[in-house]
Amino acid sequence: MLDYELLQKLCTSCGISGDEGEVRELILNEIKPFADEITVDASGNIIAFKKGRRTPAKKLLISAHMDEVGFIVTYITSDGCLKFDCVGGVNDSAAFSKNVKVGPKKLHGVVCAKPVHLLTADEKKKSPKIKDLLIDIGAESREEAEKYVSPGDSIVFDSLYENRYGRVISKAIDDRFGCLVLIELIRSELEYDTWFSFVVQEEIGLRGAKCAAFSVAPDNAIVIEATTAADVPYSENEDRVCLVGGGAVVTFMDRATIYDKEFYRIAKECAEQEGIKFQTKTKIAGGNDAGAIHSSRGGVRTLAISVPCRYLHASGSLASTDDMEAVFRLARSAAARIQGM
Amino acid sequence: MKIIPENLYMRSLLEKLCTDSGVSGCEYEMLPVINDLLGNIAQISTDSSGNIIASMGTENTNKHIIIDAHIDRIGLAVTCINEQGFVKAEPVGGIDLRSLPGSAVKIHGSKELTGIICTMPPHLSDGDELSRDKIWIDTGLPAGKVREIVSLGDTAVLCSEFRELLGNKVSVSALDNRSGCAILVRCARLLAEEKLPCRVSFVFSSQEETGELGAGTAAFSLEPDEAVVIDVGFAAQDGVPPEKSGKLGCGGIICISPVLSKQVTQKLMDIASCLEMKYDFEVCGGATGTNADRIACSRKGVKTGVISLPSKNMHTPTEVVSLEDMENLAALLKIYIMEGGADNA
Repeated sequence: MLDYELLQKLCTSCGISGDEGEVRELILNEIKPFADEITVDASGNIIAFKKGRRTPAKKLLISAHMDEVGFIVTYITSDGCLKFDCVGGVNDSAAFSKNVKVGPKKLHGVVCAKPVHLLTADEKKKSPKIKDLLIDIGAESREEAEKYVSPGDSIVFDSLYENRYGRVISKAIDDRFGCLVLIELIRSELEYDTWFSFVVQEEIGLRGAKCAAFSVAPDNAIVIEATTAADVPYSENEDRVCLVGGGAVVTFMDRATIYDKEFYRIAKECAEQEGIKFQTKTKIAGGNDAGAIHSSRGGVRTLAISVPCRYLHASGSLASTDDMEAVFRLARSAAARIQGM
Repeated sequence: MKIIPENLYMRSLLEKLCTDSGVSGCEYEMLPVINDLLGNIAQISTDSSGNIIASMGTENTNKHIIIDAHIDRIGLAVTCINEQGFVKAEPVGGIDLRSLPGSAVKIHGSKELTGIICTMPPHLSDGDELSRDKIWIDTGLPAGKVREIVSLGDTAVLCSEFRELLGNKVSVSALDNRSGCAILVRCARLLAEEKLPCRVSFVFSSQEETGELGAGTAAFSLEPDEAVVIDVGFAAQDGVPPEKSGKLGCGGIICISPVLSKQVTQKLMDIASCLEMKYDFEVCGGATGTNADRIACSRKGVKTGVISLPSKNMHTPTEVVSLEDMENLAALLKIYIMEGGADNA
């Protein structure tokens, strides 16, 4: 079984894109005793190498991103409230009335808008736009707020974590779950030498993965992710994309990548042979670091294995622990199969 | 940054009172809390509409004052469980639909069950159309397991942890109107050692959020001479007109309205001035939108006043109030009662 205590630590750590330091420290501490080489590059990516029993003919990189979506302080109003912008794709509907933590001091704040009683009938039916929201930290003036907060400070959701009944509810399952899978692989005995990257800034344009892939210069890559499951009421058939409880998601194509056909087939075979629950996406939707990795240098053959996750970029997302286990098992066995080629 | 010591007691009251329990119609769930807080200094009773009443003071006087704060909170009621295990719910009270998408909720089933309010992913919608008929809770459990724990009619609430903000302000869900209840408890405790010139009943009233039921029935049964209602009011914030609000930390808002007793309102202002207490006032052209509207015309009429506690983000899980305002209002009410109300000739 995966180390769910570590998943909780990973998910509840704060690390929006560009401010992954806290997550990076946590991961470095976890992998130090088990990795053979660790470097942190200029953009903040962790690149780790772990020796296996054998050296594969082709170099494999397994990657996950450390950053999560969140917000950034852009302006402090004269009455001490904070204006903010999104870092990564947060839905307008996800922000209002949520608890947040602001800046390095992790000051408590709440996301405010005009009270419901004063809205027109039309306004009541729509989620407020993020640009119209403010964060209240309790300060009564700009001067007071400036003692605690500065423009550029990071803002993360302050929400509950629960692992019960075989499902996890938390912020940032995207992609701290991927980080957990990499850590578990590094902790384990590997058949082949393997490179790992924990990358920054996926959510704002796959930026860390681009640099990591250049540095490692792999022949092959596997990206471990969390991907949108849209299997909610009012969504039917193919619109559901993938299902929570449906097993590991292996994608043949998304908005950023057409995945390597042979790797896709290998993953499917591994799943069938080892009895791992497997599904693919029923829509060409989303995108991940594979987009940056498969086009790196002279090209990298790439596979993505994801856990299906509902409400991916919100304060509380939901994924099944059975699916998480399936992703880990499939990642391990597909990696060995690819390395044995 | 820290809460000042003078406000720590009020803070502890809020932590006890701002629970997930006591959605409109389930106020009895709060009885143990009120018993615990006031059982040793007041007579606690309940009635058939779910009101919780704490009475104290002199039995044989012809003066009876009620101080009212509704104890019910907004929430959701479970109406359906579908084949995939998603739980459909409808609002109880005027929940802010904008606060629902993606929020964590607790369902009060046979056990407490956490879920998330479903949202449509971006590729399937360009912004959720908010509707009270489309609220689904995702517990992540299969239908069979959900049905073991959840029954139709169970209530659910948006969860929010207790948080301290700068300047002795706090945020948590249900501050509307558990903050008013905390003021009543604080006032009663301040009066515990005093010899009162009248009888006073602290009414923790039911079902305000669904139509002010409890205040009406309690006023009928108790037949008070005077009443003061404590509820949350708009705090100044972006989008709120200044004439409809008081600044957070202003001390409290005394309401002026044709439906209210000028005598009671004036008395409250006089006490505030006399004690050099800060306050703000708000003028309504008609009904106040609080329990006072019901109480003032109970039986042959009750002289009633309203004090509002400024609150930001009303009807969301992250309402914000000032502990100093609360302490201030408890002290004001104490004097009002000690002086035997407004009409004490």
